[in-house]
Amino acid sequence: MSMFDTKGHTAAREGRKPNTLKKLERMNTALRHQEPDRVPISDFFWGGFTKRWQQELGLPPDANPYYHYDLDWIVTVPNMDPWIRPFQTLTESAEEVVVKTGFGSIMHKHFEFPMPEMRGWETDSFEKLERATFDDPADPRRFFERGDNQIAGVGDGFQRNTPPWIETVKSLRPDFPVYGSIIEVSECLTRLIGQENAMLWMGEEPERMGAVINRIGEFYCETAKAEMAAGKGLLDGFVIWGDVAYKKCTFMSPRYWREYFKPWVARITEHAHANGLPVIYHGCGNVKAIFQDYIDMKVDAYNPLEVKAGMDVLELRRQYGHGIGFCGNSDMQVWETGDHEAIRREVLRKLNAAKGGGYIFQSDHSVSSAVSGRTYDYIVKLVRDFGNYPIQLGEFEERLQPDSSYSIPKSNIQKTSCKT
Amino acid sequence: MQDLKALHEAVLNGDAKTAKAVTEQALAAGIEPLKLVQEYMMPAMAEVGRRFECNEYFVPELLLAARAMKAALELIRPLLVASGAKPAARVALGTVKGDLHDIGKNLVAAMLEGGGYEVIDLGVNVSPEQFIAAIKEKGANIVAMSALLTTTMPSMKTIVEALKQAGVRQQVKILVGGAPITQKYADEIGADGYSESAAGAVAAAKKVLA
Repeated sequence: MSMFDTKGHTAAREGRKPNTLKKLERMNTALRHQEPDRVPISDFFWGGFTKRWQQELGLPPDANPYYHYDLDWIVTVPNMDPWIRPFQTLTESAEEVVVKTGFGSIMHKHFEFPMPEMRGWETDSFEKLERATFDDPADPRRFFERGDNQIAGVGDGFQRNTPPWIETVKSLRPDFPVYGSIIEVSECLTRLIGQENAMLWMGEEPERMGAVINRIGEFYCETAKAEMAAGKGLLDGFVIWGDVAYKKCTFMSPRYWREYFKPWVARITEHAHANGLPVIYHGCGNVKAIFQDYIDMKVDAYNPLEVKAGMDVLELRRQYGHGIGFCGNSDMQVWETGDHEAIRREVLRKLNAAKGGGYIFQSDHSVSSAVSGRTYDYIVKLVRDFGNYPIQLGEFEERLQPDSSYSIPKSNIQKTSCKT
Repeated sequence: MQDLKALHEAVLNGDAKTAKAVTEQALAAGIEPLKLVQEYMMPAMAEVGRRFECNEYFVPELLLAARAMKAALELIRPLLVASGAKPAARVALGTVKGDLHDIGKNLVAAMLEGGGYEVIDLGVNVSPEQFIAAIKEKGANIVAMSALLTTTMPSMKTIVEALKQAGVRQQVKILVGGAPITQKYADEIGADGYSESAAGAVAAAKKVLA
């Protein structure tokens, strides 16, 4: 059981249910910065949370939070491995497994620990990185065939032989607005060469590394294009996964990020818009130094807005008005306390951000196994009780005074190319 | 012989080759190893830390500076040991049980070494027993723990309790850090110090030892 293994319950041939279309309208209205019937809500759930939630609520082992709570959107991940190949098992026991993946990374997964450890990389020198050539970004196996892939397979859970992405999309579509997704360069580098090597080589050889970043950026831009083509008419939006910041600031200088990373996020965003898909960018950490850039790129919403990194959705709304939508920012550490009074304060305060639309309620990262099932149950109830428009929050009402110089982003429907 | 300021500049600019070359020349010319550390390398790393705190330097620059400093220290450390020079303190450092993220821990190690501390890097997924062994067998007088995840941070409290149980709590100062950690949490679990960033770890260590 892991974060991205939800499969649909309904045969695709049955078409989309009226309730699904209503949820889609709710999402899109919110992303257009208009007020829908109620605040959309969803999340990313650790496998450990789902198990705990099932046990605590006395639910069957196939119960799933997306279905149980009729959540408003779900994201899917195709095979984004540079090299499409089965995991090579290096060691395996009942407690743990070590595999080499399609990123060439040596991944150690201890089944009791929430996250895997990267122990090494096939691409272990800058020269190898410069020489590396990846499989075809449009290889049909990425979208249409079952197989191992690192993003879906090695994370909070461990899963092999992931079903074909397109089948997952089709199976979920009758019940949910379904988003496709792609990683951007930063996420690839972390898996391909490790975060420390990535940072070190950016510092050592900024321009040569920049050329590598551009090459990988083009690869993922082309993969995103191929994914959008493979899922044509089936996707409702697109997520770009990218982590470029830590608790205090960006990992690399904002100048370097703007020169090498930003253009690829911008191009993928343009392609998504050209396909009529809104874009949610997922990036952890404190991104205040580059937040305006996401608005400039016309990203539709930013996720997850980590509270522990100093991100605050109300502060951002006051600063940027409705220049961008927000998705997340409800403090997981408060959720983990299980303290209903503190959770009520946290949830209702954040719902202020939904005034005028432009807000999707989610945690500030993902729902961990330290959150009790009853707590999440309570949170959904709060959002459903208080998230109906017009939003009325009583003692938690906060005035938001957006800067009027920002306007609601217009859709960016135009054909673009990934080629530099 | 080159101006020793070149050593300071080499560390500050992350130039490992020059840092090593200048150190070799300085040692050959009979310059006291401790002088190189205290008057040139430590101030350079302090400046690196300041720039990192001010968002003038970022992780790449920090890693390069740490590597330059290490290149010089590799030449100097055996001489310091032979001369009986003591480090500012001996720090047992690791990510707590269940937490396998090490870049933050590695940056803290680099900054502490640059601040004149000896670092016993216990790696990731470190058990209370490993920290206790580092205190008893290697003479660590600071325990520095890091956690990236909210689900693993409770292990910090377990380690504090284990140190008490093992009767070594009074022998060490405890420092904590990592993305979800706050001063409030550090106080709650009975840690002696907290740092919000890798660069702040040196000041935090100095503070708890004062």
